[in-house]
Formats: sequence, C-alpha cells, structure tokens
Amino acid sequence: MLDSLPFGVIGLSEAGVVEIYNATESRLAGLPVARIIGGRFFEHIAQCMNNFLVAQRFIDEPEIDTIIDFVLTLRMRPTPVKLRLLQSAGHALHFVLVERAL
Amino acid sequence: MSVEPDDQLNELLQFLYACPVGLIELAADGEIRLINPLAMQLLLPIAQNGIVVNLFRVLETYAPELRNIVAAFSGMWGIVCEGKRIFVHPGGKYGSADPLVLACTLVRIDCQRFMAALTDVSKQVMQEQRLRQAETWFATLLDSVNDYAVISLDRNGFIDGVSAAAARQTGLSRDAMMNLSLDALDLQPRSTASSAARQIAIAQRDGWHLDEGWRTRPDGERYWCQRLVAARSEDECSNPRVITGYTVILRDVTQRASDIQRLKEMLTTDHLTGASNRAHFFEAAEHARLACNAQGQPLAVVAVDIDRFKRINDTYGHAAGDAALRAVSAACRALLRPDDLFARLGGEEFVVLLPSMDLDSAVGLAERLRVAVKAITVQVGDVYFGLTASFGCAAMTDHVTAITELLTAADALLYTAKRNGRNRVEPSLPSVAVLHHAAE
Repeated sequence: MLDSLPFGVIGLSEAGVVEIYNATESRLAGLPVARIIGGRFFEHIAQCMNNFLVAQRFIDEPEIDTIIDFVLTLRMRPTPVKLRLLQSAGHALHFVLVERAL
Repeated sequence: MSVEPDDQLNELLQFLYACPVGLIELAADGEIRLINPLAMQLLLPIAQNGIVVNLFRVLETYAPELRNIVAAFSGMWGIVCEGKRIFVHPGGKYGSADPLVLACTLVRIDCQRFMAALTDVSKQVMQEQRLRQAETWFATLLDSVNDYAVISLDRNGFIDGVSAAAARQTGLSRDAMMNLSLDALDLQPRSTASSAARQIAIAQRDGWHLDEGWRTRPDGERYWCQRLVAARSEDECSNPRVITGYTVILRDVTQRASDIQRLKEMLTTDHLTGASNRAHFFEAAEHARLACNAQGQPLAVVAVDIDRFKRINDTYGHAAGDAALRAVSAACRALLRPDDLFARLGGEEFVVLLPSMDLDSAVGLAERLRVAVKAITVQVGDVYFGLTASFGCAAMTDHVTAITELLTAADALLYTAKRNGRNRVEPSLPSVAVLHHAAE
C-alpha cells in the first residue's frame, strides 16, 4: 500500500536506521530499496538532510508534524521538494515524506 | 557489463562528496545545476529559509556584484574571478566571535555553464589583516614621512618620556605631556582613531598594535596619524612575559597618504557606488561603537532602501538600476559629515553610520536624505526617471548595544516605512513632521 502512494515515504528507527523505504522514493531517488534498508539514513544515504533543517529537528523536537520547503541534492542535483517530518512519542518510527511534483 | 560504469560513477560521486572545497555548477543566471555537500554546507546557513537553488540569489545580500561580474565576462571559457572574498558576517553575530568570509572562484566551462569553487577563508582573512597592517607599517618606514615622534609609556599606560618631535607633532610641551594618558593627546572626542585603552589591551596580548586615523592638533589642524603601540619587556625569555611599559610611535603621514589612500579605497569601497563596502562598514561600525561607548557619546544608524528598486531594474534594465544606486549614493554622501560613513550592505540596501548622533538628529538627517533622494532624476540614454527611498533610524540604547542589533532595529523601522507607503522616515518624530509640513 505504501508503494502505491504518489510521494516518497522513509521510516526511520530511533537510531536513524532505515526501516521503511517505499517504491516511489526508490524510483524517484534512483536508489534500490535493498541497498537502503538497514542503512543509516542521515549519515550515509541522505547527507543533504543531515543538518539543522531536518536531522537536527528529530533530535530537538519530540513531537513534530510539519511541512517544510527544502532542496534535495541527491547525486549533487538540487531538487526543490516539500518535506513532511513526523515524529511522535507514541511511535517507534519517525518519518520523512517527500513530495517532488511542485 | 553494466556494473563497471556504475562503480566508476559511484567512485566519482564519492570523490566529489569528499572534496574539501565547495563545488557548484551553475547557469549564467545563477541557477544551480550541481552542488556538492561542502558547498551546500557553506550556503545553507546563509540562505534565506534554507532554500539554495540559485547562487546569485543566496549571495545577493553579501556580494550583489557577482551577477555583474559574470555578465561582464566576455570570454567563452576561462577564469571569471579568482578567490573573490565574500564577507558574510562580521565577528560577533549569532553569538559567535568568528567572522565568516568565503572565497569564490568562478570558471566559465562553456557558453551555458559556469563552475564555482567556494572555501571558508575566515581564519586566513583575520591573519592577513594583521599582516597587511604590519606590511603597511614597514613599507612606509622606507618612504619619506612628514614627521615621526616617539613617546614612552609606563606599564599603566601613562607617559613617562617624549621626544622633541612628539611635542612638535602634538603641539603640547614635553613637560605638559608627562603622566598623561595617550587619550589626552586627542583633542577632538569624535575621531576615527582608536582609544588608547583598546590599543594597549591589544599590544598587551599580541606585542603590538597599529592604528591609523584622523587626529587633531591643538591648533585645530587634522592630520592622518599612524600610531604604533609596542609592548616592552625587560626579560624577553620569561614566560609569561612581564610587560614593563610601551613604546609609542606617532607618524604624520597626511601628505604621503595618497597611495595608501588609493589602496585603502580599493579595499574598502563598493566599486559601483563609491560607498563603503560591507566588510569596511562592520569594521568601522565596531570601531565607532567602542569609541562612542568610551566617550559616553551616542551612536546612530540610518538604514536606507530604494523604493521599488526591482521595478526600476525590470522596467529600465540593470544599467538604469546601477545608475540609480550611484545617484542615491552621491546624493546622500553629499549631506554627511566627514566622520559619518555611508555604506552599501548589499543590493539596493545602504546604511549610514552616525557617530555621536542621537536618534532625533538621525531622524532629522534621514529626512534631509529623503528629500535629496526624491529630487534625483536619473538619466539612462533617452530615458529619465525619478525615485524615492525609505529610511529606518535607530540609536544605541541600554538594550541595543551591538552593531548587529542596531542594524536589526533600523531594518525593522525601514520595513515599517515601506509598509506605511514608502518615501518615508521611521520613526517619524512629531517635531519633524511639523517642520516637514511647514516646508511643503
């Protein structure tokens, strides 16, 4: 069901390890699901989000549901996107949702 | 078969990811096509809302001329500019004591594409400033100097010996100078030069400090004075060094100053408008803040922004925009005192630094600037147009004590002026409004 969504879904464990990576994100980012699952997302996969605008917010704010304008630089190509950041005390995973068609 | 090129590509990517220099490929309009992580790391904190898609837009505030430099480059390929310094912010902003200076090299790859290399050169710039001072000092030792004087200070900073030339240069007798502090030699409180306490504190730390600025003799004559304060210690080997006194050398370099003045102008002015540049403004403002603080004098700034500047650019072209910037700069500078500073901070944004001026006087001056700008007619080819500007004034208070806070306060009022219909000064003092109406 996640795979049929029109936007990218990335689910991360508390330690920042990728647990969920849907087919939409895989296709648009050009990264095979198998290579991503189990990887440390901000450190090794999406360094462009490893900053105060995204990664730091998951550390600083226990409860987040926000949408921000952001520029992804996957393979050095800037792509403007909207990111939805989700984190809640009751859930083990936190999520980054990526909408590319703007 | 397809594995190999893929691996090669990944290797290439890893190489660029690990590159300790920020690399960007951009189009002629500044649109970013490729950007490596270090470049992103350098630009993200200084971009508005963290949106980095166009290099010129991100750097507009700090280096508005970048766009002009690229547009003016006529070659089809090659180096457009090399190691251009971009002064992002002075020390002290955001609670950090470190300034941020980027060096930008631009290379034209082909008719569509440019490459930018960005590095953080903040530390290097600080060191260079110190070296340049030393170099200026030693280079000018070889030139003819109008006069130089030697003064000795005890370890508390009081004069305990003077040369005959010192008396000549300061206009005071040798006896009269004994036991004074260096500040007592400055007759005019409002001076561009450093206070003695500040100079001695730096000499204590670094061994020496060189200051340049206008000083005034008792007969009222102003002269451009280089003042070197060097710490003396009896025992060079002891650690920590025990300072036993200071040697001060005063040099009157007024007449010989033309070369240095030209060099200084190149380093401190915005080439388009002749106004002071951003880097120089923050340096001079900090200087003025310390001087005014020490003397219990007020300090004010006026933020100036040309109204609907984008419309001027869009309607008449960038050449007209440039002409408007030059005209506003010239009209405003004509109304300022010698020690005031008119600076271009970026784009169509100017600021006036007003040492020893309180808020009321600053508002009064801003009102005169507003009238002068409104009187401008810009001519570009066969086209004539007028313009207006908005002004925000702020002065140091108990709550506003840093230059950046002062600027923020002036900026906020500038936007109030824009919201209230432009071609205005904020705050608008009642007395000023009455005079203004009476005049119209």
